Parts: sequence; C-alpha cells; structure tokens
Amino acid sequence: MPFISKTQRQTDYHLFPPSHPIVIDNGASYLRIGWAGETEPRVIFRNIVQRPRHKATGETVTIVGDHDPALLRYFDCTRSGPRSAFDSNVVYQFEIMEYILDFAFDRLGATGTQINHPILITECVCNPVQSRSKMAELLFETYGVPSIAFGVDAAFSYKYNQQLGICDKDGLALCPGFSTTHSIPFVGGEPVYKASCRTNVGGYHITDYLKQLLSLKYPYHMARFTWEKAEDLKMEHCYIAFDYATEVKLFQQGAKEADEKTRCWQLPWVPPVVEEPPSEEELARKAAIKERQGQRLRDMAEAKRTSKINELENELQGLEFLLQQLATVPEDDISSFLSTTGYVSKQEIEAAVSKVTQSLRKTRGEQIDAEEKPEASAAEKYPLLDIPDNMLTPEQVKEKKRQLFLKTTSEGRQRAKQKRFEEEIERERQNQQEEERRLENPDLYLEQLHVKHKELTERVEQRKRLKTNGNHSNGNNGTALGVGRGERLSAAQKERMRLLTTAAFDRGKGEDTFGARDEDWQLYKLMSKDNEDDDEGPDPEEAELFRISARLREIDPTFVPKSEVENAQPVIEVPKSRPMTQEDFQILLGVERFRCPEILFNPNRIGIHQVGLDEMPSVSIRRLPSDSQQIKEKLCCSILVTGGSSLFPGITERLEAGVRMTRPCGSTIKVVRASDPVLDAWRGASAYAASPHFATQTFSKQDMYQKGEDWLRGYQFTYSQ
Amino acid sequence: MEREVVEAEMVLPTELSFKRIQAYEKYPKGQARSRHWKHLKQILQAEREYQQLNPSDEPTYSSIESPPSLRPPKKICDITGFEAPYSDPRTKLHYANTEVFKQVRSLPNEHVQRYLALRNAQVVLR
Repeated sequence: MPFISKTQRQTDYHLFPPSHPIVIDNGASYLRIGWAGETEPRVIFRNIVQRPRHKATGETVTIVGDHDPALLRYFDCTRSGPRSAFDSNVVYQFEIMEYILDFAFDRLGATGTQINHPILITECVCNPVQSRSKMAELLFETYGVPSIAFGVDAAFSYKYNQQLGICDKDGLALCPGFSTTHSIPFVGGEPVYKASCRTNVGGYHITDYLKQLLSLKYPYHMARFTWEKAEDLKMEHCYIAFDYATEVKLFQQGAKEADEKTRCWQLPWVPPVVEEPPSEEELARKAAIKERQGQRLRDMAEAKRTSKINELENELQGLEFLLQQLATVPEDDISSFLSTTGYVSKQEIEAAVSKVTQSLRKTRGEQIDAEEKPEASAAEKYPLLDIPDNMLTPEQVKEKKRQLFLKTTSEGRQRAKQKRFEEEIERERQNQQEEERRLENPDLYLEQLHVKHKELTERVEQRKRLKTNGNHSNGNNGTALGVGRGERLSAAQKERMRLLTTAAFDRGKGEDTFGARDEDWQLYKLMSKDNEDDDEGPDPEEAELFRISARLREIDPTFVPKSEVENAQPVIEVPKSRPMTQEDFQILLGVERFRCPEILFNPNRIGIHQVGLDEMPSVSIRRLPSDSQQIKEKLCCSILVTGGSSLFPGITERLEAGVRMTRPCGSTIKVVRASDPVLDAWRGASAYAASPHFATQTFSKQDMYQKGEDWLRGYQFTYSQ
Repeated sequence: MEREVVEAEMVLPTELSFKRIQAYEKYPKGQARSRHWKHLKQILQAEREYQQLNPSDEPTYSSIESPPSLRPPKKICDITGFEAPYSDPRTKLHYANTEVFKQVRSLPNEHVQRYLALRNAQVVLR
C-alpha cells in the first residue's frame, strides 16, 4: 500500500520561529502537513471525519482520519459514516474542515494560544471564491494565522519535477487525483489556467467502480468489499491496458495469458463439518429406549382391552340372564317386568345382546364380516322399508328413514366396488391387447407409443402453460423481469375478468336475450371463482400420459420422460443445491484489473460524458490563448503525470499512444511520471514556502478585509521565481 | 473512555489551546442550526451569476470543465467488460454474447438497476 498514514504527534513545534511557514497539502483523499523546507510532511492522514457515539458513555465524539479499525469497536458508527469536507475537489463543509485542521495542528504539536506561522495551503484549480474566502476566514479567525498563501497542488508537483529535471519549463501537467483529473499547461514556467481542463473522474470513481462490480459479481460476499478493501485491491492489482480491446479479447477467448493475469483472492474458508454417523452403542441405546416405550404403550392397550372385554362379558351375562328370566315371565307381566329393567321390548333386549356380542368379538380381535351378511338378509335388516308410513308409529318412521339411508349407502358402496372390479378387468384386457400388438410388431408399436407420448406431453404442457401464464406470444417464459400488471393473471383469470367486466358494463344494450339458450347459463360457471384453480382431479389426458410413460419405461430402456430432462437442466445451475466449496470463497480479479482504471481514459463508461485522460492534452492545447505551433509542440514533449491515480502500471505507455492519436503525425511526444506522484505536490509547496520569495505571495487578514472579495477572486500564486 | 482509545489519542479533544474560538462555541451542542454551508452546485451558481454581472476573461471552476469526447463511445458489456455488440431491449443492459445474455435475463431487477447505475443509466423514480 503506497499511502500510509502518519499521525505520530510531533514534539519539536516550539523549536520553529514564528516566521517559519507551515505547509498543508489539502488533498481530497489525504491531508499532509509539515514544515517549509523539509522534504517529508510530518503528518499524513485520510481527509475524513467520523462523529460516532461512544458506546460506554453515550457522548458523541469526533474522530479524524483513519485509525485502527479494531479500536472503533468502542464506538457506535452505525448512524454516521466517514464524512469529507469535499464536494468533488472543492472544500464546502467548513465545520468538517475545522475538525480536520484541529487534528492536523494538534498532531504537528501546536501549542500556545494561536498558530503563529504563515500557512501555505493547496486548493483546486480555479477554486470558487466562496470556498477560498471561507478557508481564509477559518484560518484567520479560528486559528489566528498571520498570513496565508493558496497554491495548486498539481502546479507545485510540476514545478518540483521541473527542478528535478524530469520535465521542462514548457509542458503539461496531467493530474488524475482522487475526485477529478486536471490537465494544466505550463508556458514559461507558469500554469495557464485558462487552457486547463478538468474531467470529473478520479481514484474515488475507480475504487467505487471496482467495489460495485465485485459486489455484483459476488453478491454472496458483498459484505467483504468494504471501501478500504476495494482501495487496497485497486492499488495492488489494477493496471492500465495498453489497448483495452485486445486485452479484453484475451480474457474473452480464455487465453493462457488471461489465466496468468487473473488474480485470486482466497477468502477465509472453513470446510463444513461432516457429521459423523452415530456409533453402534448409541444406535442400540436409542433402539432400546424406543422399544421400551413401545412395550409400555402395548401393555397399556392390552390392559385396557382386557378390562373392556370383562365389562362386555358382564353386560352380556346380565342381558342373557334377563332374557332367561323373560322367558319364565308370563305374557301379561312382560311390560311391567320390562319397565323395571329399562327396556321396552324383547326385541330391544335382543338387539342389545347382538350389539354387545359384536363389540365383544371386535375387541377380542375376531373377524367380523358384517359386510357380506346383510346382502343375504336385506329384507331382514331393513324390515320397515316395505311397510307404508301410515302403518307405523312416529318412532318407527324415524327408524325407517335411518334404514333407508343405510340401505342406499351400502348399495352405493357395492356399486363402486363393482365398477372398480370392472375397470380392473378392462385394464387387464387393454394391457393384454397391447401386449399382443407389441408382440406382433415391436418396432411399430414402440414408434406409435413414442408418437402418442410426444403428442400428449405437448398437449399437457400447453395446457399447463396456459394455466400458469397466459401470454406466451413472445416465446420466452421464466424470467420474471418487468412483469406488468397484465402479466400477473393467468389466461383463465383474465378470461374471468373479461366476463365480469362485460357483465357489469353491457347492461341494457339492445335486446336482452340472455337465457334464451341453455348455454348462456354456463357463463355463471365460468365466472365463479372456483373456476380459477379447477381441481377436477387428474384429468384423463394426464392419466393417459402417465400410463404411456410408465409403459415406455417398461419396454424401452433408452426412454427418459421429457419432464425429467427439463428439470435436470436448471438443477445444475442452482448453486444452493450443493455444499459451498473453497472455490466459492475465491474472488477472481480478471478483467476488473484493467476495466476499472480504464474509466480514466473513458469516463463515459461510468456515465460521465467528458474527454478522457489521453484527450485532455489536446483540449488544453486547443484552449491555449497563443497560437504558436512551437509552444504546442513543446507542451507535448513534456507531459508529466502526477497525482495518486497515476500510480497504475502502464499509464505512461497508454498515455503516449493516446496522445499520439490526437497530435499531427510525426510530432514528438514524451510522457513521464512524476518522481513521487503522491508526495511531490507537498514537497514542491514546501520548497516554495522556504524560498525568500514566499513572503511576497502571502496575504494577511487586513489585506483580505481591505481589498475585498474581488481581490481574493483574482489572487494567484506565482510559481516562477 | 477505554485505555487503548485514550492511548491512541484518536478522539479529537474538545478544547485546543491554539484555537481562538473553540468548536463547541461555534457549533453549540443540541441547538438546531440552519445549514451553514452551501452545496458545490450553489457555490457555482453564485459564481455564474457574478460572471454575468462582471464579464471577464478569467477562467472559473465551471469554465475549465472538460468538453465531451470526440471519439465514438464503445459499448462495453455491463457484466463482463467485453466488447458488447448487443443490448437487451428489456433490461437495457449491454451484453457480449449468448451466455452473458442468459445471465442478464436471470438477474434480479435490483441487480439490473445497479448495473445500470454504474453507467448512470438506471431508472430514476421521482
């Protein structure tokens, strides 16, 4: 990782005299602060602020920069994410800026009652005056800074590299930064802002693009792709393809180079624990427990049965005794005798006896063929049925009704049984016939069967489709994308809706002939809600299909039912049906490695319709006020790329090729990378702030308030000494 | 506050000696304050208004914006990044070949929208 925060508190603040300037490179991603004249900034941290709530005490605290994520566990960060003072590359939230500056000065070791040092702070090209004046106001009013100078980071970087001899006095700085990319031409050592241009694409967009692409490619691991992780992956693996089209072809064709270029990130993966089968003893123990419980239940049932048998036997004995007694009782005394027992007649007692014997036999587990018996004695069993109603008492009429009911149901059962039997015979006969046909000409028979099977499958499928989803005119079903209102109803449901609406609105038009034909009444059946999912049982076609496929399976070993073939396909694609393997926890970076930084060259890939990095020099040259051909050629001989996003390998080669396309044939083009694209801006600024010429560039609080905003608008740092 | 947190000095102190006005004085706690900052759009709008009143040749933040590219844009497969000769009329996604098309059609609508959002072409409900 090239960007590392440095937040150690400095202890030598008091050693610097008040005239010694402090230099701040206020970049949208990182802030670097240090002393003028030094080669390294003292403090570097991410330019972000978090305001989480401390979990233990509940107070809202301010945390600036990036810290050990392990320490953030004491804070509740759910309600506020990291915030930046920047909108694009312009500072607009000065409350956040203040926290950031607090932290920066604090870590620089500032003491005393104010920051008594001149300050050189960077800003973007053509910073709006509102932002500039707010920044000056903040520094003057809150920190008591004596004087300030504003400069452009890319310009400092260019000048620094010019001093190192990497680029010329006339040239072009291309600065892909965090949120924007600038192209600034330099003529005679001074930046020409009028001819500069800015495309709103930078490292932020690349990281975000990578993050989004990966989380879409691996939705299962979405939580893994944090901003910091994406940033790390970008810095470690992304590169710029010399020619996107050829590079991507490699991957599309699955060439060997592509495999070599693919990076694999193995996420921590623990193989799922295979459950051991329970041991023999365990099984035996469980079986024993089950057996014991079963035995207990059986015992209980047995005891219950014996007690019931006893009870019934007693009752039976009682009844038999009663009958015996009844036989001895004279005819006249029967009714008086019976009234004491609670029975009305002898028949009743007999009925009770037969009932008790039956239930006794049942409990003893003897076979009762009650079904067979009544056939023979229908007349006996239903004695009341043949007697007309008027000859019976009301109770007997009731009894007659009961008997009638019993008779009809038993007859129905009988008929159903008969029918089943006949069907069985019929099927048997059919099978026999088919078998005969098959034996006559096996091939023809098989072929016929196949044809019939195919026809039936199609018909059944067709009906199923119609049932589930009405309109299949476009031929693609399945994907439920963009389901409109109409598509949700099946064909049958739609037809029902149509009928209902016509019924509701067609009233009173012309002569009402509804009901003249019998078919008209069918309408209500169609309209009824039950029609929706008609469960008419297995319909004959499906049954026939089932029969044929069973038969086919029997005689044709190669036969596979169509429904199974169709079902087999998607099962393979559904990853859930198989256990997760190590491969599922691998994040492959292939095309993404150069697809993401490619947006620097083609911002329209992410919907930003502006020129890319390689076209920017020509735009700058076009905007140049002077028409001198010589200058234009000179600019292209010294193109310096700087800024955090110029660290991608291959950027200079690609740029050279890209710029060559926009320039006349044969012109010399030289693209160089800054010595340190990240820190050069601060180093350049530090060198400037240390020069005696710096004091003429600063302005104080009085200057600002006396000269007013218009003056501040026109304020410009001069870079050449 | 926990010892490690204090040792790391990650929490910004509320009182800093080198400040003339402390943050809590400027932004009092618990007081509803109207937004004291402007969006970049508002800042730029103010700049443009100023420019109309005082026309000058000086470059501004808006004037240095890059123009659209002159090169014909190439369609790129939204899923794979390959060159995409086709686009799906239903989802509006660009795709490279039949395999990707199958994938496109099996994507849930949310993912389609996220893919579209990557190139700022998603359906925006207002």
